[in-house]
Amino acid sequence: MAGSNTRRDFLELAATTALAGSLAPTSAATERTPRKRIAILTTLWSYLHHGQHIGDRFLVGYPWEVDWHTPQVEVVSAHVAQEPTAADMQSREAEYGFPQGDLAPQRASQFGFGLYPTIAEALRCGGNSLAVDGVVIIAEHGEYPYNAKGQHLYPRAEFFQQVVDVFDADGRSVPVFNDKHLSYSFDKALAMVDHGRRLGFPMLAGSSLPVTWRMPEMEIPLGAPISEALTIDPGTSLDSSGFHALEGLQCLVERRKGGETGIRAVQLLEGDAVWEAMHRGAWSRELMSRALSRSDLVEGITLVDARTQDLSAPGVLEQIITDPKAVLFRYQDGLQATLLMLPGATGDYTAAVRTGKRDEILSTKFHLPPDPNVVYSACLAHHIEQMIVTGRPNYPIERTLLVSGLLEAAHDSRVDGHRPQLTPQLAIRYHAPRQSHYCRT
Amino acid sequence: MIQRPRIAAVVTEYRRYSHAQHILDRYLFGYSWNGRHHIPEIDLVSLYTDQQPDGELSRSRSALCPQMKIYPTISEALTCGGEKLAVDGVLLIGEHGNYPFNEKGQHLYPRYEFYQQITDVFRQSGRSVPVFNDKHLSWKWEWAQEMVRISRELDFPLLAGSSLPVTRRIPQVDMPLGARVEEAMCVAVGGVDGYDIHALEAMQSMVERRRGGESGVAWIHAVRGADAVMAALRSGSFDAGGWDPDLFRACLCRSHQLVPTRQGFNHHLPTSDEIHDRMTAEDNPNTPVLYRYQHRDGLKMSMLLIEGVVNDFTFAARLAGKKKPLSVQMFLPPREVCNFFNPLTHATEQLFHTGQAPYPVERTLLTTGLTASGVESLFQDQQILVTPHLGIRYQPTRHSTYWSH
Repeated sequence: MAGSNTRRDFLELAATTALAGSLAPTSAATERTPRKRIAILTTLWSYLHHGQHIGDRFLVGYPWEVDWHTPQVEVVSAHVAQEPTAADMQSREAEYGFPQGDLAPQRASQFGFGLYPTIAEALRCGGNSLAVDGVVIIAEHGEYPYNAKGQHLYPRAEFFQQVVDVFDADGRSVPVFNDKHLSYSFDKALAMVDHGRRLGFPMLAGSSLPVTWRMPEMEIPLGAPISEALTIDPGTSLDSSGFHALEGLQCLVERRKGGETGIRAVQLLEGDAVWEAMHRGAWSRELMSRALSRSDLVEGITLVDARTQDLSAPGVLEQIITDPKAVLFRYQDGLQATLLMLPGATGDYTAAVRTGKRDEILSTKFHLPPDPNVVYSACLAHHIEQMIVTGRPNYPIERTLLVSGLLEAAHDSRVDGHRPQLTPQLAIRYHAPRQSHYCRT
Repeated sequence: MIQRPRIAAVVTEYRRYSHAQHILDRYLFGYSWNGRHHIPEIDLVSLYTDQQPDGELSRSRSALCPQMKIYPTISEALTCGGEKLAVDGVLLIGEHGNYPFNEKGQHLYPRYEFYQQITDVFRQSGRSVPVFNDKHLSWKWEWAQEMVRISRELDFPLLAGSSLPVTRRIPQVDMPLGARVEEAMCVAVGGVDGYDIHALEAMQSMVERRRGGESGVAWIHAVRGADAVMAALRSGSFDAGGWDPDLFRACLCRSHQLVPTRQGFNHHLPTSDEIHDRMTAEDNPNTPVLYRYQHRDGLKMSMLLIEGVVNDFTFAARLAGKKKPLSVQMFLPPREVCNFFNPLTHATEQLFHTGQAPYPVERTLLTTGLTASGVESLFQDQQILVTPHLGIRYQPTRHSTYWSH
């Protein structure tokens, strides 16, 4: 791929130097060391789907530390499982104002990487043995079935298994990133992590919520006692949106005294049962109020005449939300936590945690910069790149494993009459990274 | 300290999205502050609205919150229908409404006229109370100067300005007090006499913290149009007629709303040619504007309004001895609720509670003068104007005043 290298170096240099002269110091410096070669395995590479807005970061770079960062990894191959459907393209063309489609062939041609019909060929770049230094799996979006529990059956574990098959066959392993939860199935997720341990390759996974900006900047002091935690999710899909919110909360509470101990029980409530639980005090109204106050996208009567309002005032939520959900979960060490899905109340992911000896409440918003830049995925790209370059993930895969299992247990509760689910399989212990990894640059 | 102040609001119009709506609603309904829904411990008891367009809200808000009575004149609002001043503070919000423009493109909001009527009541009552003036003091420099002079004469605290200096920042950093700042830049949205003041105030709130404090501005040069901006961009330095390219790059990298120019890509750093294409694109109705000016202590400044290339407010500064620029985004949360009015409203509460302006009005006096001079420079065929009248010296607050908790 030497030829394509040259072509891409030229494109990058042209892009940076064309911007008013003396703008190339960072890219010139990084070009001297050979860059790690990566394969991107995705379900769809079309506009503003995860495959595109994360994948493109490794092609065109991204903002980092007051500069436009040229990645120290190079995309050398990709496998894209699907093309967008005609209906998807039509609706997105209406939304974004230009023709939509599979962008992978154009990207492969412009940036000089190979598109392969199978995962094995992508990892071997068409040759006989593993030919990349890292693998990025982005299996979000695309036409995949749902199961009876309402889970979208994205083939993350299936992609991962094919990656592991190549590692096994070729006798060499490289770092693997998996976007969002590891799998809809905890058993499959656990098998993925076990493969990583067996072969000794670094894994990173999850949402961008743990690594995006927080408003205000806030971190749980490492080792602080936490007595209760709550997060608010503006979405409607427990499977898709709920994962983000749960992982956002997990990256806060995992820093508590004693480290992570795992989750003992999980219950999903939907509809009026949510309000009944709220009135009987299943979660702290104070925590809910604090988390709600962090939103900058307030709905309800604010949409009528732009007035400010206290969403936590008595009766407000019940009046404006028609489809609430709550996931109540208790950790092995007794910590009680709640996910509230309140579509129609706010447009933001927020959280509040009661912590410290004086029961101080810390709260924040996980700030998601808007379309089309969705700069939160640049924060995620940074951590993916770091893992592939250094061989060390900045935060533990156990976080995403635990949240994958928590999410499945919430879905299990749904099909079990919304009864609490005991989750001995989620007694997952780990320690949070000492360093805080949300974006402050 | 007054335990529970009573205040009057004197506004041009109270309709959805007007500044009066954003600020007064926060007094009536509360707002998010420090992780709680905060209700001001201040009573908004009287209101004067100069215009009542169809669909305006003053009448329905007064019906909903009867403690806020509407009066037909500014004088009656301040005296609550009595003989003498009957409030402990005044909000003057003269933004939005149907007012004429002059030949220079300035929107002739009656802030100075309102202020005169407010201070007439102060004189007649033999008592003055704190006043907040939203945005720049006046479209006319001499009037702005007079407003500040009157506040000194009658000895009342005057607070003014934009929400940009106090809104959230990404990341949460302030200019270190006493920093040696060599050059600074703001890349922002909007047009002259409306948004230039926001960008100028954003920059001023950062650079006033530099070593020696504020010294005033020596000259300003405003240009308009894609060709002029491209010439500045390509010049490669402030002294050559442009700006430090590293500062521009830092601003673009700080932006979270950088308009993509390559179809199918959602986020990339544009080339110079792509910036030109965006500025002149058919779907971009905005005319780019550049104000370049220099402070009396040598500090070089560029304010670039290129809406359609970016859609947010970013700032970058070159500090002596530092390799990388210091840069932030001044975060403007989107509609409907426009929470950047939270810290501005809170600053007005501090004014009324403590009787002290939380940051100096000289900042807004200077930016008012810069705005008027920028407009004048454009009007005078984009001439460089020397600004001896802007030799405004002041010191910043020691502590940061932007919204960080």
